[in-house]
Amino acid sequence: MSLSAELHVASRYLVGTRRWTPVVTVTLISLFGLGLGVFALVVTLALLDGFQSGIRSQIVAHASHAEIWPVTGRRIEDPEKLASLLQGALGNVEIVQMVRGTCLVSSDTDAVPASVVGRSDTDRVTVDRILSRRLGVASGDRVEVISARQRLTPMGPLPVRIRTEIARISTPEPGAESGEVVLPIERAQRLLWGERVIEAIELREMSDPWTLGQRARKVLDEAGVAVRVAGLEELHRPLLTALALEKIMIFVAVGLMLVVAALNLLCNVAMVAAEKRKDLAVMAGLGFSPSSLRRLFLVLGLSIGLVGSVAGAIFGSGLALVLDRTGALELPQGVFMVTAVPFSVDPMTVGLVVAVALGLAALAAWLPARMVARREPSEGLRYE
Amino acid sequence: MSESAGIVLATGLTKGFGAGLTRVEVIQELDLEVATGEMVAVVGPSGVGKSTLLHLIGLLDRPERGRIALDGVQTDDLEPDARAELRNRDIGFVFQHHHLLEELDALDNVALPVRIAGEKGRVARDRAAELLDAVGLSDRASHFPDQLSGGEQQRVSVARALAMRPKLLLADEPTGNLDSANAERLFQLVTELHLKAGLTSIIVTHNEEMARRCDRIFRLARRADLSENVRTI
Repeated sequence: MSLSAELHVASRYLVGTRRWTPVVTVTLISLFGLGLGVFALVVTLALLDGFQSGIRSQIVAHASHAEIWPVTGRRIEDPEKLASLLQGALGNVEIVQMVRGTCLVSSDTDAVPASVVGRSDTDRVTVDRILSRRLGVASGDRVEVISARQRLTPMGPLPVRIRTEIARISTPEPGAESGEVVLPIERAQRLLWGERVIEAIELREMSDPWTLGQRARKVLDEAGVAVRVAGLEELHRPLLTALALEKIMIFVAVGLMLVVAALNLLCNVAMVAAEKRKDLAVMAGLGFSPSSLRRLFLVLGLSIGLVGSVAGAIFGSGLALVLDRTGALELPQGVFMVTAVPFSVDPMTVGLVVAVALGLAALAAWLPARMVARREPSEGLRYE
Repeated sequence: MSESAGIVLATGLTKGFGAGLTRVEVIQELDLEVATGEMVAVVGPSGVGKSTLLHLIGLLDRPERGRIALDGVQTDDLEPDARAELRNRDIGFVFQHHHLLEELDALDNVALPVRIAGEKGRVARDRAAELLDAVGLSDRASHFPDQLSGGEQQRVSVARALAMRPKLLLADEPTGNLDSANAERLFQLVTELHLKAGLTSIIVTHNEEMARRCDRIFRLARRADLSENVRTI
């Protein structure tokens, strides 16, 4: 049997009614409830995606997109050859040589341990905001960086130290907790190693930063170079995992609204089943099979689910886009990285929300549909 | 099954409702045979099981005991979907209350069994238009049930029952809610269509005069089975 009879009757039940009945009222409430649930979920997830994509953009803008370390030891053998291999295979990739260590950084007022990074792409000294606050220093102030490495002097072994002027205060990476000072690589090598050692190579490529690690790993594997390669996902795994977990938790928590809306839909469809008990018996008499009656109620539930969730998704996405474009929800300056509440509408997320709403609607319609299909047709006619 | 065995052959039908002390045996060990082309009236007092008998024959309900064969097909072991297909294809129902779907106009109500059979909407509506014409309601096709008089509603109901050109017409007090003039008009219509379409008809009625105009009368009585043409209480 084709679906045409079920669709025909369902469409008449939903839009063909010519007078205001309780079924119409409850159907509209179900529609509104489901639409509101989808709307709330879409707006909430767009808000979350807005903030999260801001964080991801910050990561892409400020952090390395892939890093390479030696498999054993701390120094990379023949870093120039490795760099030219990557440059040749990956094209327009920024390659920065680095050394890293931990030093004591002191100002006139305080001394705190901090990460020291030597980079080949800088010729000035940068201190991040965390460290500058701890030391109470600003651009133009001088700090002393004291290494754990010692050198022998006429007065005995003394720590290697440099005194330098801060050229710039930088924004720390999202999630960073300890302060960091960035030096030109030659000065950092002198401070940490006393010779020209490269400990890591940083890669950056703005066109496709999230796959750079995989591509670099492939190139180096094919060339037989034994090094460790980490992409953006691996470098920032704790933060990205926390962001993903946050999204799932928000989805589940706000998604409970959809469950409530689906329960309301279940009541609505059950009410239709009760009010139309006689009609259903007559339809069974005319040849509707139990499976047709089940399909009729599934069509009813899914139609309400489809209209409600699509309307909710359209209004939710529309509102999020308008708020994002206009920046209507302003944030206090200096507190957040952005000046207005950001929204980002991800079609995949919206699709998932609609799919979940439809799934719940189908489930809500299934129970009354099953109940209707199990009745003998005569039950609806017996007490007319 | 041969024609002489009857289009309806019911043997040992038993059906009751409720359980324990509230149990009511409505039909007990009832046998019934109706030959092809017969018009049979079923009469009897209220509550004696006339409608229940019609529901059992029409596969709207299942007997607790006994067997029902329709046109040679044993229906007892059929799956629900197969019973539904048989109802759609071979049986037409007319109920006491018209039981038209209020959301559908007269044309769509009549077309519904044809749609259920899987025909396209246009085919179903063309067939429905023919039938509405046959019952004299072609000008009321786009009217909804609440825009029709009681007699018109019942005529639409008759047209709907015949939409699939069934072999068997089951009518449960089709004139019960009509005044005498409309009741007579409807009965004449049913009789005409019965002859014209070569139907076998079983009509439950309280109207003795109409019952006498049928080929046979089955008179159901309390505490009685049904083995002869006429039974009295």
